[in-house]
Amino acid sequence: MLKIKDLHARIDGKDILKGLSLEISAGEVHAIMGPNGAGKSTLAQVLAGREGYEIVSGSVEFCGRDLLALAPEERAREGVFLAFQYPVEIPGVNNVYLLKAALNAIRKHRGEDELDAYAFMKIIREKMQLMQMDASFLNRGVNEGFSGGEKKRNEILQMAVLEPKLALLDETDSGLDIDAMKVVADGVNSLRSPERAIIMVTHYQRLLDHIVPDVVHVLADGRIVKSGDRSLALELEAHGYEWLQQAVGT
Amino acid sequence: MNAMLESLREHWRDQAAALPGDTARRERALEAFLAEGLPTTAEEDWKYTSLAHLEQARLTLPGPVTLARAMAAVERHGVPDLEGPRLVFVNGQLIPPACRLEGRVPGLTIESLAQVLGEHDADEALDRVVDLDRYRLARLNTALFQDGARVRATKGVITDAPIYLLFLTLGDAEAMQLVQPRVLIETAEGASVTVIEHHCGEGEAAVINAVTEIVAQPGSRVTHYRIQEHADTHAQVASLNARLDRDAALVCHNIDLGGAVVRNDVHVRLIAPGADVELNGLYFTRGTSHVDNHTRVDHLAPHTSSREDYRGVLAGRSRAVFNGKVLVAEDAQKIEAHQSNNNLLLSHECEIDTKPELEIYADDVKCSHGATVGQLDATALFYLRSRGLDEDTARGLLTFAFAEEVIARLGIAPLAERLSSTVIGHLPDSDRLRAFT
Repeated sequence: MLKIKDLHARIDGKDILKGLSLEISAGEVHAIMGPNGAGKSTLAQVLAGREGYEIVSGSVEFCGRDLLALAPEERAREGVFLAFQYPVEIPGVNNVYLLKAALNAIRKHRGEDELDAYAFMKIIREKMQLMQMDASFLNRGVNEGFSGGEKKRNEILQMAVLEPKLALLDETDSGLDIDAMKVVADGVNSLRSPERAIIMVTHYQRLLDHIVPDVVHVLADGRIVKSGDRSLALELEAHGYEWLQQAVGT
Repeated sequence: MNAMLESLREHWRDQAAALPGDTARRERALEAFLAEGLPTTAEEDWKYTSLAHLEQARLTLPGPVTLARAMAAVERHGVPDLEGPRLVFVNGQLIPPACRLEGRVPGLTIESLAQVLGEHDADEALDRVVDLDRYRLARLNTALFQDGARVRATKGVITDAPIYLLFLTLGDAEAMQLVQPRVLIETAEGASVTVIEHHCGEGEAAVINAVTEIVAQPGSRVTHYRIQEHADTHAQVASLNARLDRDAALVCHNIDLGGAVVRNDVHVRLIAPGADVELNGLYFTRGTSHVDNHTRVDHLAPHTSSREDYRGVLAGRSRAVFNGKVLVAEDAQKIEAHQSNNNLLLSHECEIDTKPELEIYADDVKCSHGATVGQLDATALFYLRSRGLDEDTARGLLTFAFAEEVIARLGIAPLAERLSSTVIGHLPDSDRLRAFT
């Protein structure tokens, strides 16, 4: 589904990604771990189309298309979803209207009819139940006054509604207490499917106790330096990133 | 003497006898105004706003408008779903069939000034609060205003329904009209009123010169709305002057969505401990419009407080000015004053001049101020686009959301909805944006 080849990216003249390669197939869940500043969030932002990053070289192919040539909204409509590390508060724009506009933009792109209010609300109620969210949330401004946990739940709710092909979860566990983490993890797990790929970017392995990945990659200094199964994350947890940097000689 | 001043003198000669109230007061005001003339950009307070184009304009005091024409205009411009009393003025004259005064609250008096001037103490109530040396155009209003509204609430009277004052200006091709709304609001101890001044209009060039005076006795509360939706041919000058006694509170919402050249002055004096004022403002300038907001809060007593948040959205080749002054007198300790002015520039050709000014003579005070001028938040824009919204829609939505934060503070739903709708209508891609509200 996603093929990243030798990707080099920089921001403000500073090289962040330095030859990153990665392949993910539908149905897989990959975790990308790494120390702060390794380029984890940059990778998520670059894949979602954030402006300001300069792609120096390399390529990203998504379902056979050149992902880097698409605007952020085109990527979203093609099925890329980024759950933000810091979801943005937008007072004055209603949650429910944003969800509806987002879903209809994607449906329209797929050649499907836009949903009427009734059909839309039916979907929303179901997904909100999944994320254990109160109905009052719908009429609030987007993320306005939400706690850290509520913001992250809202991201996963959006993901559940939009049903992307590729979900990028950027530090989704940060700022969550254990109960909130369970709700978020249950939400993500319920969205695992043979048609969908998920990339989780995380500094800590605790999220991986709840969302068990198929593959774990270690990102350091802008490149994937090691890949393995679940046990790699546990080793990292036990020995820290310094151990790894010595082990791979970076 | 320029053409404008000459025309005013002629009107005085011809029509002074027909104007309501104390002629001597009017004449003194007129002579003082004629001696000084219009403010010019050589004066610091008028540095950015020029009224020079009016100097050669011959102004006319408007005559009566036919009832059918007035009612049709009210239908087009008025806010329809407001409960409560209303007075409607078209070109400065009361339109009784459009007014609603039934079901009045005991202790609450709402009157047409033209009807009560010359009686009781009505004349004495004029010019009590406005600083005529500073706001010279208020003198012109005092000299030649034709009608206006007086709202009084006696001790402890609390009214829920807003009092709606609609001032409509219908510009005329034959002569440039001078329309001068005048409003007096007086609340006795513990009283509470809400007043909406809605200034709007259509047609050819006209000049609107409005004056509002608010006197709030101890423990009373005034919520005041000044909604300005003039035609893009209209020049408007307005001053709102308030004096707040012990524990009195004033909330002002100043919304400017129209006008060619607009100048608003707000001057609030907090004269006793516990007095509190909140100023909310929004201006949305487009085309070649020019909107200048000058506010001034005088903390003249200890333990007084003020909060001010003005926001601007500028598009096209428009220009806006914000000058917010806070004065803290020498013995006004323990006061709190906060001020912010944030502006969103939607084009490269618009211009904002923003200047917060603090003048503090006390030493134990809490004051803050800040001003920003900028574009839309890049992260928020990316967030919306990453959810599949196209860039134009995302930009429109964030612009709307910026303005909506001020509108959301308006406590009157039909008014807030109407203004939200107007703001959206001024944005590109408005049909799509409407789906979000």
